[in-house]
Amino acid sequence: MGADNLDDSLTTQTENSPRELLARSFFFVCAFVSILTTVGIVFVLVTEATTFFSETAGLRGVTGPTVSIVDFLTGTEFSIASEQFGVLPLLSGTLAIVVGAAVIALPLGVATAIYLSEYADPQTRKYLKPALEILAGVPTVIYGYFAVEYITPLLERYLFPDIGFFNALSASIVVGIMIIPMVSSISEDAMSAVPDDLREAGYGMGATKFDVSTGIVVPAAISGIFSSFILAISRAIGETMAVTIAAGASPKLVEFGTVGAGPVSVPYPDPAYFLEPIQTMTSAMVQLLFSDITGGGVAYRSLFGIGITLFVITLIMNVLSDWVASRYQEDYD
Amino acid sequence: MATDTRTTVSEGFGEVSRTVGTAFRYLLLAATLVGILAVGVLFVYVGNDAIQPLTADPGWHLTFFLTLVVPTLAVGGVLRARADGSFRVGLESLGLLAVMPLFAGGVATLFLSVLPALVTFSYAVALGLVVATVVALMRSRRVGFGAKLLVVGVATVVSLLFVPGIIQSLPFVPVEWLLVALTLGTPVAAIAGAYATSSWNDRRTGRIAGAAALGGVVAAGLLGSLIGFGGTAATILAAVAGVPVALYAATALDRHPARRDGLLLPLTVVGGMLLGAFLVRTVGFAGPAAWLDWAFLTGPNSITAEDAGIYPALVGSILLMLIVALLSFPVGIGAAVYLEEYAPDSRLAQLIEVNIANLAGVPSVVYGLLGLGLLARMLDEGLPILPAAIADPLGLEPVRVGANLFGIGTVFVGGMTLSLLILPIVIISSQEAIRSVPPSQRQASYGMGATRWQTIRNVVLPKAFPGILTGTILALGRAIGETAPLLVIGAPNQFGLPQELSSRVGAMPLQIYAWATTSGTPEFYAKVIPAGVVVLLVAMLAMNSVAIVLRNRFQS
Repeated sequence: MGADNLDDSLTTQTENSPRELLARSFFFVCAFVSILTTVGIVFVLVTEATTFFSETAGLRGVTGPTVSIVDFLTGTEFSIASEQFGVLPLLSGTLAIVVGAAVIALPLGVATAIYLSEYADPQTRKYLKPALEILAGVPTVIYGYFAVEYITPLLERYLFPDIGFFNALSASIVVGIMIIPMVSSISEDAMSAVPDDLREAGYGMGATKFDVSTGIVVPAAISGIFSSFILAISRAIGETMAVTIAAGASPKLVEFGTVGAGPVSVPYPDPAYFLEPIQTMTSAMVQLLFSDITGGGVAYRSLFGIGITLFVITLIMNVLSDWVASRYQEDYD
Repeated sequence: MATDTRTTVSEGFGEVSRTVGTAFRYLLLAATLVGILAVGVLFVYVGNDAIQPLTADPGWHLTFFLTLVVPTLAVGGVLRARADGSFRVGLESLGLLAVMPLFAGGVATLFLSVLPALVTFSYAVALGLVVATVVALMRSRRVGFGAKLLVVGVATVVSLLFVPGIIQSLPFVPVEWLLVALTLGTPVAAIAGAYATSSWNDRRTGRIAGAAALGGVVAAGLLGSLIGFGGTAATILAAVAGVPVALYAATALDRHPARRDGLLLPLTVVGGMLLGAFLVRTVGFAGPAAWLDWAFLTGPNSITAEDAGIYPALVGSILLMLIVALLSFPVGIGAAVYLEEYAPDSRLAQLIEVNIANLAGVPSVVYGLLGLGLLARMLDEGLPILPAAIADPLGLEPVRVGANLFGIGTVFVGGMTLSLLILPIVIISSQEAIRSVPPSQRQASYGMGATRWQTIRNVVLPKAFPGILTGTILALGRAIGETAPLLVIGAPNQFGLPQELSSRVGAMPLQIYAWATTSGTPEFYAKVIPAGVVVLLVAMLAMNSVAIVLRNRFQS
């Protein structure tokens, strides 16, 4: 660079030189892809789902069978063959998986988080954390196979002799195992963020490590713990392959028994539901795929009806998790 | 903590609280281990079903115990007892030796089954010319940036349009293995040279290392084709596995010559395996009747359990991973750079961040719907460059490109869908890596008059690279196991070997699902699926272990 074109080189090397503009535009386009993805998901779900619901199908010029939104949300029968598309049996199945998985993953996940954050020495943590990550990393289709091939026979032999070949229980066990790391890692982050001052204040008052862990750290990190619960449950709702393989394909509503006598009878869901084959929203979607995928018939369109329901539920839970984490966060500064 | 030992203060009280505390501690440990142990036991079960080690002769076990296990334990014990770091060198080189051939196998399947050697070579030359143009222009300070951009653009178009055709129509072409050696060996040699240059801080050593790598790859190909192992396979093995192992050993020994003895460990293992195999064959001990064998790995799928192989699905998975890596890494890293370096606190950046966090929570099956509805059905006719709505009033023909790429269940749509699926993970982990670069280094760069892009290119990205790589490999490990999105975009149950981007997609998890449902006979459940599961798990664990080793290495 000669001295005569110094001015030139100064201006070409600033924030708005072509090179900088090109780099900035490239990075911006990359970041914008994520917005486009969201727009794409919402666009596809809405355009296809509106052709499924009878309230909106007319506007889209769709002829052929449709289902009204009310029937879809309150229908108690789901059958592809007879074109009955009530989502309640599927919701009931999803709920069973979620409850089963939560019973396993929430306590184990929180206990793991307490252990990793308060008790484990750095060396142990170094080995335990990648091992936990593997639990979440095992492909879910493999979890489904594990449930059918190893867990169901085990349950049949030792606990429930009349369990079905496909059943909700084994599926919810594997889903529970796979969401443990989600609970433990987010909860552990929240517990590690609790300042040491609080712990030391506890010790100064004569508290033991047990008292400090359960009485100070857990309450202080409670917002992060709840937020991890919600995220893990949201993941369990969206889990597809394990439940498709292991939980069967028989959509049915949970039955209610009653407990109590005379006028005071309280209905409770029948736990035998767990031993039977069920169907979740996600596994119904997989089954729909095999009935009619290219034709664009009512089964294809119902796929998007269920899809948008699933999307809205998980979106609400993600937002809720964020809100819980920030709303109830203790501020220590 | 101090309180644990201060328990005898007052009578009784301390005793009780210590009991509770100890019980609580072990309860927590047990809870932590429950999931890990359960999955570990399941892995043992599935490994047993796939390999069936108990069907081997006792003599087979004894032979390998004596030739492999005992010497390895002895050498490992001695090295460990010396505690001078040689044990670690031994372990790391052993790990490399175990993992890199797997990746070499993956690359080999691509070259042997999907990419014709001459076509690949011609495109590699075309890309090489573009890279050479860029490098030559970067050196020159007299040409303006706009002119450079123009030249590179023209060079790219011309080179990709004409060079492959010219090369493919040459009257004389080298044999296949030499083509592969040049295609694969040149970039490997370039990387090896750059690595050697940076670790010895000496350009001459770097050049020697690069030349040695290329020479070694070509020599391996020649040797392989002479002894009948297969020139192409030997070339790929040397390029993907041989060069990294040699480079690792060379750098490790050069830094700490005293740790040379660590290399005894991999030598013992390899020697023990060879010796054991030789003895077993001479004496005639039968090995285990494993279901997971060479025929299973390289065989086509079949409706009978005896003949079912995983090869098409394996190739499909590798092809998918290649597409996912090419699509999601640049975009993911670019998005992370934008969010961290250009717009850290703007309104738009906050919106994008919230959006990414929510995308990470969208179920994978919904991504499948995106692929099905948008990529497979709406874009079935191709991407509209000039849509009919604009073209018709102007009296023009609508222009659409890539009609064969889009469509129900193509490899390209599968790769796009999986890329979008892992994009949030790639972005979030890259952001973390970029954030961990100390601000002082950026400020130093700005203080020297560097622009933002110069700072990103010369300071931020090189520093954050290991972290970015770790996160992206973990994301790829997640993508290789994804089934639901591929199922939803319309991947059929029976698929052949994918030949190009418009073929029907097949993948290992899809194949496992197909075996578990449509051909779900007890034979398949007891033997074929375990073998497939083990292959998929090994692929996933190999990727994860590379990522974890990288993380441990660069964190310290």
